[in-house]
Amino acid sequence: MSDPARAMLRRSIPSPRRLAPAVLFGIGSAGSTIVLLACSAWLIARAAEQPPVLYLSVAIVGVRAFALGRSVFRYLERLTGHDASFRQLATIRANVYERMLPIAPDGIAATRRGELLDRFVSDVDELQNVPLRAVQPLVSAVIVLVAAVVGIWLIAPQSAVAVLVCLVVGIGAALLVQQRAVARAERTTAPLRGELQAAIVEHVQALDVLVAFDASGTGRRRIDEVGTRYARATRARAAATGVAAAAMSAIGGFAVAASLAAAAPLLQGGRIDGPTFAVLCLVPLAIAEVATAVPLAASALRLARASAARVAGAVPDTVPDGIPVMPTSPATPPRGDAPPMIELRGVRASWPVVATAAVDESGAAPTAGADDGRGAALTRVDLAIAPGERLLVRGGSGAGKTTLAHVLVRFLDYAGSYRLDGIEASTLDPADVRGIVGLVEQRPWLFDEDVRQNLIFARDTASDDELLEVLDRVGLRDWVEERGGLGAKVGERGALVSGGQAQRLSLARAMLARFPVLVLDEPTASVDPARADALLRDLTDAASRSGSSVVLISHAPVDPALVDRVVTIVDGRVGEEHPYPSTTS
Amino acid sequence: MKPLDPRLLRRSRAARGFLAAGGALALVQSAAIVAFAWALASLVTGFIDGMQMADGMPFLVLLVAAASVRAVAAWLWDVVGSAGATRVKAELRSELLAALEAQPEGLPDFPTARIATLLGPGLDALDAYFGQYLPQLVSTIVVTPILIAMAWIADPLSGLVLVIVLPLIPVFMALIGMATQVVQRRQWESLATLSRGFLEVVGGLSTLLLFRRADRQTARIRAVTDDYRSHTMKVLRITFLSGFTLEFAASLSVALVAVSIGLRLVAGDMTLIAGLFVLVVAPEVFLPLRNVGAAFHASTEGVAASVDAFDLLDAAEDANRASVRAGAHAGAAADAGAGLHLRGIRVLRGDRVVLDGFDLEAERGDLVAVTGESGSGKSSLFAALLGFTSIEGDARLDGSVLGAGADVGTRSKMAWSGQAPTLLAGTIASNVRLGDEDADPALCTRACRLAGVELDVGLRLGPGGSGLSGGQAQRVATARAMHRLLARDARLLLLDEPTSAQDAARESALGDALVELASEGRIVIVSTHRAALATRADRIIELDPAHV
Repeated sequence: MSDPARAMLRRSIPSPRRLAPAVLFGIGSAGSTIVLLACSAWLIARAAEQPPVLYLSVAIVGVRAFALGRSVFRYLERLTGHDASFRQLATIRANVYERMLPIAPDGIAATRRGELLDRFVSDVDELQNVPLRAVQPLVSAVIVLVAAVVGIWLIAPQSAVAVLVCLVVGIGAALLVQQRAVARAERTTAPLRGELQAAIVEHVQALDVLVAFDASGTGRRRIDEVGTRYARATRARAAATGVAAAAMSAIGGFAVAASLAAAAPLLQGGRIDGPTFAVLCLVPLAIAEVATAVPLAASALRLARASAARVAGAVPDTVPDGIPVMPTSPATPPRGDAPPMIELRGVRASWPVVATAAVDESGAAPTAGADDGRGAALTRVDLAIAPGERLLVRGGSGAGKTTLAHVLVRFLDYAGSYRLDGIEASTLDPADVRGIVGLVEQRPWLFDEDVRQNLIFARDTASDDELLEVLDRVGLRDWVEERGGLGAKVGERGALVSGGQAQRLSLARAMLARFPVLVLDEPTASVDPARADALLRDLTDAASRSGSSVVLISHAPVDPALVDRVVTIVDGRVGEEHPYPSTTS
Repeated sequence: MKPLDPRLLRRSRAARGFLAAGGALALVQSAAIVAFAWALASLVTGFIDGMQMADGMPFLVLLVAAASVRAVAAWLWDVVGSAGATRVKAELRSELLAALEAQPEGLPDFPTARIATLLGPGLDALDAYFGQYLPQLVSTIVVTPILIAMAWIADPLSGLVLVIVLPLIPVFMALIGMATQVVQRRQWESLATLSRGFLEVVGGLSTLLLFRRADRQTARIRAVTDDYRSHTMKVLRITFLSGFTLEFAASLSVALVAVSIGLRLVAGDMTLIAGLFVLVVAPEVFLPLRNVGAAFHASTEGVAASVDAFDLLDAAEDANRASVRAGAHAGAAADAGAGLHLRGIRVLRGDRVVLDGFDLEAERGDLVAVTGESGSGKSSLFAALLGFTSIEGDARLDGSVLGAGADVGTRSKMAWSGQAPTLLAGTIASNVRLGDEDADPALCTRACRLAGVELDVGLRLGPGGSGLSGGQAQRVATARAMHRLLARDARLLLLDEPTSAQDAARESALGDALVELASEGRIVIVSTHRAALATRADRIIELDPAHV
């Protein structure tokens, strides 16, 4: 395991003070289990000697008290343990977030695509299991086990040794097998699961085509074949992990036999009495029960370790090449609300190499070549954008359009020169550049709130009237009012709105922020082709009416009336500038 | 919640096999527990009564053997569980895939993402269901009664205590569950929102950066997470109560049994061996039930997965029945002859009529453009002709009835390309030749030329055809339809918005290709919203929502 992952794990363990209550209650619960059985065994064996009942009263009280204590302590252990781990979760999340800030968004691959984002967030949340399912149960169980063995030692050292050997061998075997089985599972099961999932996704998504072309049988056979191999690997893994469970189940019986055989001579020699002998024979059963927590904690730790490694890999603690760093003494940005003159000379830029592999190692998320949000490199861009100009940047996929957009808002660093009113952008605080140049992303993120919340963070002083006015300008006012006004929910990840509406909403919030320069990256990518032209018209109209410069990036043809000038980007170069070709009209 | 979906037993042979094997294993387990307890009680009693080591040896061997058998049974449970899970998964998966094929456009309540999740990770939830939950459920049903009976034989009073306490546990748990349900539900709702708080910030990070709001979020993350904690703890305090009840009842009844045995031993009313036997057996009586509680998660997820799978199967079967019924209406008037005849066509999507009273007569060599706003039913018309969705009215191609319920062979006379290109992983050639892999390679070359695919046909594409631009992918998809048309010498080519991602020059080239194909005696129907392409057709049919 790499060191960053280890550091990540360490940071997810709460302070001893916070963890102490759960550990203590855990000791109380596991301890009660053992003492309850010891008391019961002693009570029964002593009762068989038919002493006056008075001699049994302490044991009777003990049996009742520890029976009660066991469940009460267990309840408290679970509550305090969960509370401590949730408190730690706040720290874990805040830590990870602060690590993300300097390199976000383009230095982090894990948050670009939906399923990777889910994975990343659940990996971060998985870290709260380190205290809850690994550290606390392990500490409690080990303390109780040691105390129990020492307790037996005080009565019958031979029995203690016998029990200890059984525990060490049994737990050792379980851990070893688990380790092996998991190693094998990682080698075979995970890639097969990924392959199966990819085959199923492709089959289901292409089902209409497969059926229409009479080709569905081939797809099904492939799924069956991968499914069979995956099933074989799963069964092999289950058989191996089953050995661990069997070992833990055997510990109890074997420890009873060993302890009994070791204690019998003591009984015959008269060094212990009958009730003590009964205790020595039965107590190993309870000890084995407590011991089952150890392999469980170990496997919880392993899961958390894998998550920690993925999180640490996804969020490196050094800023990768290609991501802008904050200048030590930032220059003063150009003032005023008027759009600045933008000049790019010999601009080169490329995307940082980020660890998608670490994120995808389990194979659960199939990698999709070009669709991971990374764009092509810019090799040479010479471009000037006059204040208030509407510029169309055209280019095929892989030409570097999104890269250019990200350079303009300083998500990506550049070589060459990029000036805003003559000030070099790299000498400015990236946040100041983003105060001047705004971007409406290809896939805008909508927060799972209402329309108002999705707009207002762009300018928190805006009144409802201003919000409605800006919605009107992007052609959404009627739509919003139909849905009950600004309080209308947009759904999780904008599930309740269409791609075009999401684009309009995100343009509305960009306009609310009054960026002097606005970059629109493929605003029609997720829009029905028949509606694309109307959307583009509304977007460029609304943006340019506010006096901003507009950079419209698109692969699809655009109505020439909407823009002042067109440049084409090919293989990361901005080619010759030309008026819009008239062939489309 | 049902512990087991009855449809699982009714429909799955593998599931029934698993339960039978599990029942046998549970019997073995019960025998091992009884043997172990009896051997242990005999040994302790024997040694206290002065038995020699040599006399105790058979019991010691029995003890170790019983413990070993129990461990082996535990291992077999894992093997049987995993085998059961993989078999049931394979059964369900192939049944589901087969059922889905009759509804290639998907089912209204099951978006493809949900189906894909269900068939992949969704079914994997059955691993834990069969591996952890069902074994404990079977044990509860088989092992618990046997052990209670054994305890009863050894000491009827203890047996009685167990018989009384045991059924109380589920009753109390249910009562607690009912009493807290309202509180729980209210809490879960706010929890669902809170639990997404962090995901929202991380997912929206680039947006927050663009609006210079990212720096303020750390405090917010802490606040949301702390809110999440306090809400969750409120829920857990109640949720853990049912676990507490279970543990409490279990250990308290063991205590009751132990104390009552002790008191009767003092009075000389029973023997030590019986007492010890019951003391060892009593916790085992509660163990399966406690484990069932612990495997609660595995059970809910597993049941949810199997319920989802069966719901999907039922939905697919219902949809199939519906479309076959609709198909039976088709074609009363016999009017055999070459060409495409559509009269009084009505297309349904579920219960919604998307196209009504549509007529079209096309002879061989006709190039027909279908235009209309989006939502006017162009794609639905194609889907209906392919038999993907219900169609009513008289629809026939060269005399054969079209639509759901038509012969499988009829589809061979048609080639189609949809609005989305939907390419598969593999080479461009393998995509173009889909379904007709044995056709003459020259046809692939011609199809590519007609559709304007200028890429190397050996180029490999990623999953979903990634690696091509939208325009390129669209042309490959068009080539694929043309290849089928050529390879099968099919009559009818259906193209749905084939130029939505093409520029004017490409659009015009495709128009030429369509004219060429039609002139060879085929019927070409193209749906488009581009005037330039529509004007190339012999006829333009305007669909308007008024048809509906």
